[in-house]
Amino acid sequence: MKKRAWLPRATAGGVVLALGLSLAACGGSSSGSGSGRIHVLVYGDATNKVEKQIVATFNKTSKVKAVLDTIPGADYQQKLQGIISTKQAPDIFYNWGAGSIQPFVKAGLLMPLDSFIAKDPGLKSNFLPSVFNTAVVDGKPYGIPMRGTQPVLLFNNKKVLQDAGISEPTTWDDLLADVKKLKAEGKTPIALGGGDQWPTQMWFEYVYDRIAGPGLFEKALTGDKSAWDSPDSRKALSMLKQLVDAGAFGNNYDSVKFTDGGSPALLATGKAAFELMGSWEYSTEQDANADFTKSDLGYGSFPSMAGGKGNAADVVGNTNNYYSVLKKTKYPDAVMQFLKLQYSDEFVKAHLAIGNLPTTTNTPKFLDTASNPAYLKYQFNLVKQAPSFQLSWDQAYPPSQTTAIHTAVQEFFDGKINADGFIKAMQGLSAS
Amino acid sequence: MTTTSPAPAAAQDGQARRPARRAARRSGTAVTRPGFAWAVPATLFFALFAILPLVLVAVLSFTDWDGLDAPAFAGLDNWRALLHDHTMIQSLWLSVLITVLGVAVQTPLSILLGVWAAGKQRNRAVLSAVFFVPLLLSATAVSVLWRAMLDPNFGVPAQARWLFGNGNLLGMQSGAIGVLVFVGAWQYTPFHTLIYQGATRAIPEVLYQAAALDGAGTVRQFFHITLPQLRNTMVTSMILMVVGGLTTFDTVLILTQGGPGTDTTISAYYMYQQAFKNFDYGGGSAIALVLVLVATVISLVVVRVSGYDKMRSSSEGL
Repeated sequence: MKKRAWLPRATAGGVVLALGLSLAACGGSSSGSGSGRIHVLVYGDATNKVEKQIVATFNKTSKVKAVLDTIPGADYQQKLQGIISTKQAPDIFYNWGAGSIQPFVKAGLLMPLDSFIAKDPGLKSNFLPSVFNTAVVDGKPYGIPMRGTQPVLLFNNKKVLQDAGISEPTTWDDLLADVKKLKAEGKTPIALGGGDQWPTQMWFEYVYDRIAGPGLFEKALTGDKSAWDSPDSRKALSMLKQLVDAGAFGNNYDSVKFTDGGSPALLATGKAAFELMGSWEYSTEQDANADFTKSDLGYGSFPSMAGGKGNAADVVGNTNNYYSVLKKTKYPDAVMQFLKLQYSDEFVKAHLAIGNLPTTTNTPKFLDTASNPAYLKYQFNLVKQAPSFQLSWDQAYPPSQTTAIHTAVQEFFDGKINADGFIKAMQGLSAS
Repeated sequence: MTTTSPAPAAAQDGQARRPARRAARRSGTAVTRPGFAWAVPATLFFALFAILPLVLVAVLSFTDWDGLDAPAFAGLDNWRALLHDHTMIQSLWLSVLITVLGVAVQTPLSILLGVWAAGKQRNRAVLSAVFFVPLLLSATAVSVLWRAMLDPNFGVPAQARWLFGNGNLLGMQSGAIGVLVFVGAWQYTPFHTLIYQGATRAIPEVLYQAAALDGAGTVRQFFHITLPQLRNTMVTSMILMVVGGLTTFDTVLILTQGGPGTDTTISAYYMYQQAFKNFDYGGGSAIALVLVLVATVISLVVVRVSGYDKMRSSSEGL
C-alpha cells in the first residue's frame, strides 16, 4: 500500500517539475534577428507613430524587412543594457548619444558609421552639426539623429508677469528682481519639480554655461577633475545658491514633480511665474491645460549673466535621439538604406505633424505645415544659431553616473551639501 | 466553582489525550510519513529558485560586472568599498528604522481592528470589507495615489496648512520616512487585521464567560484574555511585518526614489540602484548579501526572543 501511494504521486511531482523547468527554459529560446529581417528597437511612446510609418515606407521597397520593437517606460536604458550583448540584441537601436552609448562603444558592440557616410555623405551633411556631433564618440560617428531636438527654455505665465508688472528677464539681475517682486505678491516665483531631480540639474547646466562657457564641462567630461574646483565653478555655485536662498523656488520644491504634472500645474494655474523646462513643456501644457497654452504660455531663452564667459545664445538640453547600429548586424546595406530615411521629407513632415522638431537641414522648408509654427521656428533658429548646444549632464556622462549627479544637484539645492560638497561629488564621477 | 472546574477538566483531558497522541505518533511514522522522497520536488524548486541564485549572487559579489563584458574577478574590492560607503551603513539604519516604525504603528492598529472585526456588531461585515480594500490594490498603484494626494500645492497638504506647514513632506527626511511608514501601514494593516480577526475568533468563548462571571469588564477581558491568547499570532504577524519592512521597495521606488538626496535610500533600494541604475552588478550583489545576512540575524533574534521556536500552546487556562 505504501508503495502504491508513493509512486504515482512522485511521478506527478516529477511531471510538474519538468513542466516548470521547460516553461522556464522557454524564455531564452526566441531568437533575435531571423533571416531577412532587421530589428529596430525604440523607446515606446507617442512618437512611435512616426517610427511605424517610416518602417512601413522602408518595407515597401526593401527585400530585407524591418521590424519595429518598442520598450515602453522609463526603464529603456536598463533593459537595453540587459539585452545588447545577447542574441536578442536588435540591429538598430534608439539612444541619447554621448554617454548613453559610450559603454557600448567601449565594449566593442557598435559599428562606426564612417563607411556609411563615405558612401552617402548626406548621412552627415543633412543634419545640424551641433546635433550630429553629440553621437560622436572618440572621434567617430555612432548615431544618426532620428527624432526631434529638445532645448531647455525658460517658460512663463504671461498673465502672472503682466499682473506683477514685469517683463521676461533678459539678464540674471532682472530675474533676481522679478523673484523679489513675485515673492512679495505671494507667488512661487519659479516652479521646480525637484522631486524628479533632473529639472534641478537644468539650472546647473545653464548657470555653468553662462558663467564659465561650455569649456568647463567639456574639460570635466574628459576626466580633468580640476575643472569642478575652478573659480568659475565656485562662482556658478554661489549664483545658484543666491537664487535658492532668495526663495525663487519656494520651500517645498522637492515634494513637487514634473513627471506627475505637479510643476506644470503650478505654472498653468498662475501659482508660479516661471519654469525652466525642456521644449516638451509645450505639449505637456497643451495636453493638460489647452486654454492656458493658447493664451498665456510664454517662452524665452535663459537670461545672460554679466561678467560670464558663456555666450548668451548657448543652449542646453537634449540635442536629439539617435539610431546606432550593432556591429553584428547581418544586413549593413539594408541598415544604411533605413538610416537614409531619417532625413527624408516624409520623416520631417511626420514629426512636425505631431509637434516634434527634427534637426535635418530640410526642416525649415516644412515648418509652416506644423500645428504651432511660431514655437517651432523659434526653437529651430535658437538651436541653429547656438554657438554651443550642451547635452544634459546626466546624458553626457555614462548612465552609471546619473544617480550621483542627480543626488548632488538635489542636495546642493537643499543645502545639505555646500559648494565644497558639490565639487567633491562631481569630482567623484567617472567619465568613462 | 468557576475557579476549580476548569483545572480538573484540563488534567483529565491531558491524561486522556497523552497516551492517545503517543500512539498516533508511533503509527503515524509508519503510515503517513514517506520520508525524504516527498520533499524532493519542493527541495528541487527551492534549490533552483532560491539557493542557486543566492550562490550566483555570492559569486557576483566578488566580480566587477556591468552586464556587457564578461564578469571580471575583483577579489574583495566590492566588499571593501561597502565598508567605507556611508550610504550603505545609513541604508541599513534606515531599513531598520522603517521596519521598527512599521511594526510600532501597524501592530496596535491591527490588533484593535482585528478584535473589533471578530465581534458580532451591526455593520461589522460591511465595514470590515471596506477596511480590506487597500490590501487588494497593488503597492505601485497605492504609491502613485498617495504621491498625488500629498502634492504640496494641489493635494491634501495645501488644504491643511495648519497640519502640514509648507507641505514639503517628501522634501525632508523625517517627512519622507513618515510618508513611507504611513503608506505602508495604510496598505498592510488590513492584512494583519485579518490575521488577528481569525485568531480572536479562535479564542474559546468559555474564557470570556468565566471572566464575565468573575466581573471583568470589556477592557479587562481584552487585556487579560484576548491579548495573552493572541501572543503567538502577534509573533507571526510581527515576523511578517519585519520581513515586509526589510524588503520594502516599491513604495520607495515610486514615492521618494531614495530621496531627498539619499535620505530614504534603504538597503533594498540601494541594491537596485547600484545594480540596475549604476550598472554595478558586483556592488549590488554585495549589498544583497548583506541584506540577506542582516535579515537572517534579525529573524533569528525575533524567533529566539519571542519563543516562536518553542511555540507553546496558546490554550492557556483551558
